[in-house]
Amino acid sequence: MMLSVFSLKMSAEAVKSVFLCRLRIVSRYRGWFLFDMLVPTVIAAIPILLGRAISGENAAARFLENTGTANYVAYMVIGANVFMIVSNSLWIFGFWLRNEMQTGTLESLYLSPVTKLTLLAGIALYTAFRSLIAFGVAFTGGCLIFGVNPFQGDVILAVFFLLIGLIPIYGISFFYGALIIRFKEANSLINLAQWAVAAAMGIYYPVTVLPRVLQYLCMLFPPTWVNQDIRASLLGLSYFFGEWYYDLAVLWAFCIVAPLLGYYVFLANEKRIKKNEGVGRF
Amino acid sequence: MKPTIKIKDLSKTYVSKERTKIFKSKKKTVKALNRINLNIYEGEIFGLLGPNGAGKTTLIKCLTTLLLPTEGTAEINGYDLLRDDKMIRASIGCMLMGERGLYWKLTGRENLDFFGSLYYVPPKRRREKTEELIGLLSLSDFIDRTVETYSSGQKMKLAFAKSLINEAPILVLDEPTVTMDVHAARELRTIVKDLNEKGHTIVYTTHVMQEAEELCDRVAIIDKGEIIALGAPDELRAGIEQESVTKVEGIIPQKAVKEVRTLAGVKEVGLTSNNGMSKMVIVSENSRVILPQVIRTLFDNGSTIEYISPEDVTLEDVFISMTGRTLSEDTVV
Repeated sequence: MMLSVFSLKMSAEAVKSVFLCRLRIVSRYRGWFLFDMLVPTVIAAIPILLGRAISGENAAARFLENTGTANYVAYMVIGANVFMIVSNSLWIFGFWLRNEMQTGTLESLYLSPVTKLTLLAGIALYTAFRSLIAFGVAFTGGCLIFGVNPFQGDVILAVFFLLIGLIPIYGISFFYGALIIRFKEANSLINLAQWAVAAAMGIYYPVTVLPRVLQYLCMLFPPTWVNQDIRASLLGLSYFFGEWYYDLAVLWAFCIVAPLLGYYVFLANEKRIKKNEGVGRF
Repeated sequence: MKPTIKIKDLSKTYVSKERTKIFKSKKKTVKALNRINLNIYEGEIFGLLGPNGAGKTTLIKCLTTLLLPTEGTAEINGYDLLRDDKMIRASIGCMLMGERGLYWKLTGRENLDFFGSLYYVPPKRRREKTEELIGLLSLSDFIDRTVETYSSGQKMKLAFAKSLINEAPILVLDEPTVTMDVHAARELRTIVKDLNEKGHTIVYTTHVMQEAEELCDRVAIIDKGEIIALGAPDELRAGIEQESVTKVEGIIPQKAVKEVRTLAGVKEVGLTSNNGMSKMVIVSENSRVILPQVIRTLFDNGSTIEYISPEDVTLEDVFISMTGRTLSEDTVV
């Protein structure tokens, strides 16, 4: 009897299997795609409609003064859609982990020789696929509903910021996975963190309106950069460091630090759990 | 024969929470395994027996790297437990949580393909192996339905197929027949024997003694985290052959059991109850000599006897003679 052992090709095959497994499962719950589309539109609609209801003659000028654009509708639509993709990427991994714990399949995964990085890569690929499709459709739909031109500004650069920005976001999702595996609770953590994320990345306002200390804290959070840089490339706003390539360099730095740190924290917590009662208890 | 699994001084302690009130809990340290030393040899079917909570599953979880031992180590298929965890997992086909280890929204075929890929089985071989398993375990009627539509027995069959998908040299089966009907359980035991003849080393946990007696070359009886008996079923039975066993069925109050325990010549008494009916096993020096006394004591203490007979020694009797409890005592309510 020969042991099937690790190879790069077989590892890629395992990533593909995890990706397909998640896709098959989600395809058997009808309606998920529709809900994914609706969420950012609703998130954007609230401040847009509120703005229309209460804004006076100088509202657009005040918005321009604070954000660098008078197009508050496009500003909100972009913010809401970036928030949705960040939110999906941050929480889907945690939800996946929690769900596997509760259904008992997490132990089955841990019994296999596949590395955790392979599993995480498969889940990240699935999350990116799902989020990007939802983002594309929801963004186009939001632009049509609110009368925003989706092709204004530098679209390619915006997409580039989005794709690069996903990498540190997955790094943060490993932290969240570590919390789930340790505290065995997903919902209350998300309820708490969801609003903190929304506030920190400035979906409805530029973070520059926050007190200075909070601004610095927000700047340590990669989604804040992704959000601002996508808006900057599409709406012609200023980048945090003046030029797009300086901001991109910061995102690259996040790309290295966040996944490594997140994975390390995840493995440390996993080891701690295995030293005690194991991943089977939920 | 060389040992495929070598376990040395393996201990596992964990902290669990004991709920006292809704929001209050007390931390409790549980010693699940206490210095286990054991060799399991290549090509044998090795049984791990014991009541629920004895430590069987904890031992399996340590050997399959799901849990880290607190002390001690083990070598599995030549790989060190603490250093070569990936190679150990590749060496083992495992059926651990039964139906809970499957994706219910996937079909049986999709489950086998998915788990095969996690064991790095190449796609072509996965497809071939899946077809082999469908034939071997008669899965064709339901393999392309989602698992959520399966009966418990069908789920257990699929879980068993999943443990075979990577063609590992070591098979670990944790209570594999637990929700199967009699026919399916017999079929599974036959397949286990065939796999063993083809060279697989099999670790089989159960609390059903007849199953262990039928299948296993050697057994270890575990109780409260310790191995209390180890050997071939015949050897273990021979160990108490100078003693004899009396089995009683009926309505037996606790005070009758207490009184029987005090009779001269009685070594151990085990009792299980289910829906008011009790089964009592009495291990004594000579069952025929004590039989009249046992009957009188039971009647005097309000028992109703439906069946009483001196019988052959089984592995269950070995367990009773060592612990004073029956194997199912901790599991049957």
